[in-house]
Amino acid sequence: MSSRRRFLIQAAGSLAGAALVPELAAMGPRTLSAPAKVGLVGCGRQGRAIAEELAKIAGAELAAVCDTNPARLRTTTERLAGAEGFADHRTLLERRADVSAIVVATPTHLHRQIVEDVLAAGRHVYCESPLAHTLEDARAMAAAAAGAKTAAMAGFQARSNPLYQRARPLLRTDAVRDLISLQGQWHRKTSWRFPPPAGMPEPQANWRLDPAVSLGLPGEVGAQQLDVFVWLRNRMPTRIEGRGAIRHHDDGRTVADTVRLAVTWDDRLVLDYEASLGTSYGGAYEVLHGSSGTVKLAWSHGWLFKEADAPTQGWEVYATRQQFHQDEGIILVADATKLAAQGQLARGIGLPYSSLYYALGDFLKSATEGSPVACTMTDGLKATALGILANQAMTQGTPITIPADL
Amino acid sequence: MRCATTAMGTRFELVIADDRPERFRGAAEAALEVVEGCHTRFSRFLPESLVSHLARIPAGTAVRLDRETFGLFEDAVAVWQGSGGAFDITGGTGAMDAIRLDARRRTVALERPGLVLDLGAIAKGHAVDLAAGILRDAGVASAFVHGGTSSAVAMGPRVWQVSLDDREVIGLQNTALGVSRTGHETPHPTLDPAMWRPLEVARYVAVTGPSARFCDAWATAAVVLGMRPPGMPDGYEVRSPLTAHRSLLTPCPAAAAS
Repeated sequence: MSSRRRFLIQAAGSLAGAALVPELAAMGPRTLSAPAKVGLVGCGRQGRAIAEELAKIAGAELAAVCDTNPARLRTTTERLAGAEGFADHRTLLERRADVSAIVVATPTHLHRQIVEDVLAAGRHVYCESPLAHTLEDARAMAAAAAGAKTAAMAGFQARSNPLYQRARPLLRTDAVRDLISLQGQWHRKTSWRFPPPAGMPEPQANWRLDPAVSLGLPGEVGAQQLDVFVWLRNRMPTRIEGRGAIRHHDDGRTVADTVRLAVTWDDRLVLDYEASLGTSYGGAYEVLHGSSGTVKLAWSHGWLFKEADAPTQGWEVYATRQQFHQDEGIILVADATKLAAQGQLARGIGLPYSSLYYALGDFLKSATEGSPVACTMTDGLKATALGILANQAMTQGTPITIPADL
Repeated sequence: MRCATTAMGTRFELVIADDRPERFRGAAEAALEVVEGCHTRFSRFLPESLVSHLARIPAGTAVRLDRETFGLFEDAVAVWQGSGGAFDITGGTGAMDAIRLDARRRTVALERPGLVLDLGAIAKGHAVDLAAGILRDAGVASAFVHGGTSSAVAMGPRVWQVSLDDREVIGLQNTALGVSRTGHETPHPTLDPAMWRPLEVARYVAVTGPSARFCDAWATAAVVLGMRPPGMPDGYEVRSPLTAHRSLLTPCPAAAAS
């Protein structure tokens, strides 16, 4: 490599590096500085995903699992060697004092009591998003976390995702400049109706289809992505409108399978958000349209689309590009500084781990080292509140003003 | 009722034969979700897969596996041993002895730095087995599950007609099927472990038996050896000639029910 090219890459990396991911370790495998025994409460589909990611974190040991359904608990303990099974989370807390960190992956409406009990027992807690199905519960959880001496983290994963961390400073540079509009989507073709484990009534297993406890697509899915925009902008929106319909799964359900939200900020910036269980086209992503460039984030991948008159940032000179119809996307790469210096920018395309992995890694780092959590329960309360209010706006058919004092 | 997804570079499909198939839609979706999970876990082309993680972490680092995934690794090693090395998941490196399995702790560790496992000759069958298991647990009595052109499970007493190539049709009843073939024109040709280069002789093999992942693996071993692998257990049968074969597998599986 010529010295001029190496200089350009390193200089480009330096330019980007200040704004992007500062540590090489941000993207790679997580290793805990001290071993941690972890308990998992809730062994459904999300619980299984969590167990799989925990196994990849060096130093984390899934020592206990808990589920109120005996068949599912038995299956889980058979699947996961070394994990002791409990039918009740209080028993787990009483009998396994060596389990210092608890991950809560039960249905949303069951989170509150478990989180409060875990914190009262002096353990660290990670709670899946959304935090709760009511504002009252979410507020209580945030209050419990505020008074606790242990780590309490809400599972809004973008805040731990190295790619999203890399994109966040871009919004404060000429790469994007003035935000024009926002767009979000979550598409997945699934009925949300899964076979229950033995002994569990179907409605209990498919609680997302029960309007009494489910926040529907706006809350159960949308809250995670609404938080992306709140976190990237560092400000809460002020108004939410919503519409919903059953477009595909006309099987007697009342929870909409397709929803559309309009979320407005006080500077009149509007987010158009759509979620559907009837199509998988396009998957899940968030787009921030700016006057100089547009950032598109899709959890494992991200791109910057520059306007023709946008100023050159420098770092993008040697970046890898991808064509999307008439637009050329500059692929965003976490750890760009180090990789550029090594001439290996292309190796950084696509995160090597899932957002869930990074979030769990951050939580266990906080639990073992005492560092601040990536997403506090107060932040989680705000994101959850957006999901709750969005669902209300959709089901009631009237716009809702978001209280400033959430 | 038919449901399908794309995973592992092919199309997985399940066909449920029932008077009221819609009552099993949830089970079908759960089965396909498991297939997609296998893709995410075992693809060597996905940076977030378990296979990529094992290649990335320091050699010798033990990773705890769930029962099903550990079983897959155990079975892969068993077929490697039973086939005299003809079946190999180390991508032509001959490093099977670098795979360390700890049955008590249910962990796997790779003792060779950067070793990238290639589970392509067994993972599709594994995914089909898991999907069929979910359908069985949900009470599905009759179904056909297949992964592209290489793995299938026929569930229940019904005979499912499957075209193995452009001439041969066999009936599958309550059994699994795995097929393997050689040829330079394939994107990922079968390697001869003795030479570590693509097999030059054209062979086509179908194996039936209780487990799709074993059928998948034993078919690969048979196509490499050009004979029934000596360690292939009872209950598994080679269902098509091991001689040179001109035509390729015809993916018909959509499985016309007889």
